[in-house]
Amino acid sequence: MAAEIDIHAHDDSHPTEKQYWVVFVVLAVLTAVEVAWSYMGLEGVALVAPLIIMMVVKFLLVAGVFMHLYFDTKILHGRLFWWTFVAAIILAVAVYFTVFATFEFGI
Amino acid sequence: MASDNGQLALPPGSSVTTTSVLGAWARPDKPTGLMNWVTTVDHKKIGIMYGAASLFFLLVGGVAALMIRIQLATPDSTFLSGDAYNRVYTMHGTVMVFLVVMPIGAAFANYLMPLQIGARDVAFPRINAFSFWVFLAGGLMLNTSWFLGGGPDGGWFNYAPNNGIIYSPGHGIDFWNMGLLIAGIGSMTGAVNLITTVINMRAPGMTLMKMPVFTWMTLVTQFLLLFAIPVLTVAQVLLAADRNFGANFFNVQQGADPLLWQHLFWIFGHPEVYLMILPAFGIVSEIIPTFSRKPIFGYPFMVFSGIAIGFMGWGVWAHHMFVSGLGPLSVSAFTVGTMFIAVPTGVKILNWLFTMWGAKIILSTPMLFSIALVTQFTIGGLSGVSHAIAPHDTQQTDTYYIVAHFHYVLFGGAFFGFVGGIYFWAPKAFGFLMNERFGKVQFWMMVIGFNVTFAPMHILGLQGMPRRMQTYSAVQGFGMWNMVASIGAFILGIGTMLTVVNLYTSHRAWVRQGRPNVGADPWDARTIEWSIPSPTPEHNFDTDPVVTHLDDWWHRKYQKDENGKLRLVHTGEELAQAGNGEGVHLPAPSYWPITLAFSLPIIGYGVMYTFWLLIPGILLMMAALFGWAFEPADNLDLDDHDHGHDDQAGGAEKELETV
Amino acid sequence: MADTTTDIADDIVDDAMGSTHDLTNDDHNDHGGDHGEDHGHGPHLSLGLSNMKLAMWLFLGSECLLFGALISTYLLSKVNFLQELVAGNPYVVGTIGGEIEVEMIAQNSVEPMFDIPFTSASSFVLLMSSLTMVLAHKAVLEGDYRNSRVWLAATALLGSVFIGGQVYEFTAFYREGLTYTGNLFGSAFYTLTGFHGLHVTGGIVMLAALLILSSRGKLQADRAETVELVGLYWHFVDIVWVLIFTIVYLIP
Repeated sequence: MAAEIDIHAHDDSHPTEKQYWVVFVVLAVLTAVEVAWSYMGLEGVALVAPLIIMMVVKFLLVAGVFMHLYFDTKILHGRLFWWTFVAAIILAVAVYFTVFATFEFGI
Repeated sequence: MASDNGQLALPPGSSVTTTSVLGAWARPDKPTGLMNWVTTVDHKKIGIMYGAASLFFLLVGGVAALMIRIQLATPDSTFLSGDAYNRVYTMHGTVMVFLVVMPIGAAFANYLMPLQIGARDVAFPRINAFSFWVFLAGGLMLNTSWFLGGGPDGGWFNYAPNNGIIYSPGHGIDFWNMGLLIAGIGSMTGAVNLITTVINMRAPGMTLMKMPVFTWMTLVTQFLLLFAIPVLTVAQVLLAADRNFGANFFNVQQGADPLLWQHLFWIFGHPEVYLMILPAFGIVSEIIPTFSRKPIFGYPFMVFSGIAIGFMGWGVWAHHMFVSGLGPLSVSAFTVGTMFIAVPTGVKILNWLFTMWGAKIILSTPMLFSIALVTQFTIGGLSGVSHAIAPHDTQQTDTYYIVAHFHYVLFGGAFFGFVGGIYFWAPKAFGFLMNERFGKVQFWMMVIGFNVTFAPMHILGLQGMPRRMQTYSAVQGFGMWNMVASIGAFILGIGTMLTVVNLYTSHRAWVRQGRPNVGADPWDARTIEWSIPSPTPEHNFDTDPVVTHLDDWWHRKYQKDENGKLRLVHTGEELAQAGNGEGVHLPAPSYWPITLAFSLPIIGYGVMYTFWLLIPGILLMMAALFGWAFEPADNLDLDDHDHGHDDQAGGAEKELETV
Repeated sequence: MADTTTDIADDIVDDAMGSTHDLTNDDHNDHGGDHGEDHGHGPHLSLGLSNMKLAMWLFLGSECLLFGALISTYLLSKVNFLQELVAGNPYVVGTIGGEIEVEMIAQNSVEPMFDIPFTSASSFVLLMSSLTMVLAHKAVLEGDYRNSRVWLAATALLGSVFIGGQVYEFTAFYREGLTYTGNLFGSAFYTLTGFHGLHVTGGIVMLAALLILSSRGKLQADRAETVELVGLYWHFVDIVWVLIFTIVYLIP
């Protein structure tokens, strides 16, 4: 029954309520900054790069804290969840970026 | 534990509530008969049903194949009209890929993988049943097109804009689209289920590097399915949006780029070809060591080459599109990628050869089929490398050379492996050995028929005969080799049918002899599924096997003597488990998986014909979902135990606390 | 709008629900089933991970490829649409009409269609629902069932507000001339956001099921994992919206 114990042991490794609130505030602020940034009248990389970076940060915060990926790494083999998700995302980005590249840049 | 109020047990009365929610139907409890098969959640029965369904679809696809060969046997043939010919070859390809080779791989995975890892069932038995039924529902829906205005006519990959409503009016392609969309749901849920099983339900001691190669290949295959199926799903959703709802995804007038279809299809399609061949690779990796009386040569290389194929299979899809006008950089990159993927495949072939090298090979029927796979797959692989080279491919695309290539890898490779697997594991699944002499006759018929059919297609292709050509005139000079191929196809067709005939006659003979016990381990095999009686008892293992070696079963039978020589110390019969399932509690059967699965084609027909059908379809689906959700996985109501639900939960709880 | 994809997407979404419901039951099974040694699973979890959680992550991995393909399709369709619109393709020009189309051509962008402040508000609503979801899970874990129901209801409500916003948005766009069948951009936009909306709807149904379970006293701390699983799905859908919001709405 050791396995059963392991499942429940990670309950202690969940984030605290305060951490949830902090992450939420950060997410809300980032969203506000994103919207504000899109109204700055910038163009090209100056517009897109910060937006992409903020998007990735939001993504990582939700996945890491709300979905417990950072905290699951503390339990035995918990990293497997992380790797499954990351593998899928890397695969999706690589494959679809290639498709997009063949269309848009004519390579 | 997390809660300190001791409320881990379900509150009193909850089992009563669930029963009343179940309401409509009592829990299925028939031990035998049709109802038992319909409601079963046993991975072995589901595996056998996968096999039976794919043999049925093999008949459909095989008849289509023979119709094609009759049509092409003579010049200027009028056996099939152009339109009928389009539908027949499309259905042949679609049925063979999606409803024969994929599910027969799933059949082996379902039946064997839990046995090979020493598990009692898969992680989610009801989802497993659902995966099968939804595959069958999708497959049957696709095949109703034969009677409802004709099958799809766009080829098995249905390129846009040819698959649009303008170029293919009627419902043929809708059947293709909806049927495969539904079957794809089953593949996805099956993949989630089987991956979870391999990763998390192995017997004590069975580390990843002690898993049989077949289980490894199942794991890689299911990962490919998991990530590839959604891509096809999106392509099909876009197509359905275009055909059924008037969207513009492939509408060239509007500036759409129909190449999007090719990309999405082949991003799915290339992992797809590997997920068809890898289970067969796994099967021969079990058969060859058994009959060579040697461990597999380079086990880690076998495993990692399989993983490498799985990874690299994602980076080669555009080699199907070399003539579609990709840029030079893409073409070069995909050429290189395609050539590189031949390396892990070559590693596997070398390892099989070295396993056989210097061995006292027992030429049983499964072994013959495995050797044929190695040989014929190599031929197909070599022609594959020849069209990895883009300029070469430009000559070969859409000719019979390609047809020859993929039949050598898919039929000569994958399917020969599966037939070998049927011969090898029939005693484990059904309790009788298939007739060896019959098997050898069948083997030679299939090998001769296969090569006579498909080897001439290389020549036809190089002579310039296009793929999917309805007919040709005598002056084109394709006549002789087409006739040869057609003769071969009939030999091959009969040879393939003999699989089923042999199963039937062997079973008859076995029954006539009073069902003699073939024993747990008739082949003196290597992996732990041979440590339990044949046919496999419903509960699989009496006690959990504890694994200490790769090829654990072999190591229990053979040990080193004082001179360091391997000697048989125990026979398989001495070591085999008794098959006593007393006290084993199995997941209970359920009506809901099949109900949920068959609600989907109703929705599919609704999309095609009339939206009114969506109402009963969605209602049935919701009912099935809720029935499923409120039904416990265990049949507690019918339990013999006199204590109720809560007591049992309480028991489990006590046990948790005592650890 | 989404009726285009409803039926197929329904299958997929409900399939997701189906799996989760099943997980619910297997969870129930593992804890409420009989004694460990004779049970099919439970004791032999090789990695000590929960089967249900592993399965949910695998499913979410699969969904990544699904939404990746939809987002790529959207981007490609948008680019092709603008190209044709600006070049004056007669089959494309006039499919939206009015001020907006003129603006689109002038800016060479689909931005004039969007109402960024409104969408920002609904993005915020969805983000907030993720917070209430984790708080619901936390409450169940700690045995605070009354609050867990409050947070679950809040999550479902915020999700419904988001869906309501989407319906409003689609109606507004439709009135302004962007139809599903009119042009490539309309097809791609409605399919992508509609697919996401269907996922949210599926999540709301799961939350409703959890609320029913909880009000009957069946959602206790031992089944907190069920809430966690629904939460994982819910947060994933939120993550997808984070991507869609930036890629579709903010980047021109």
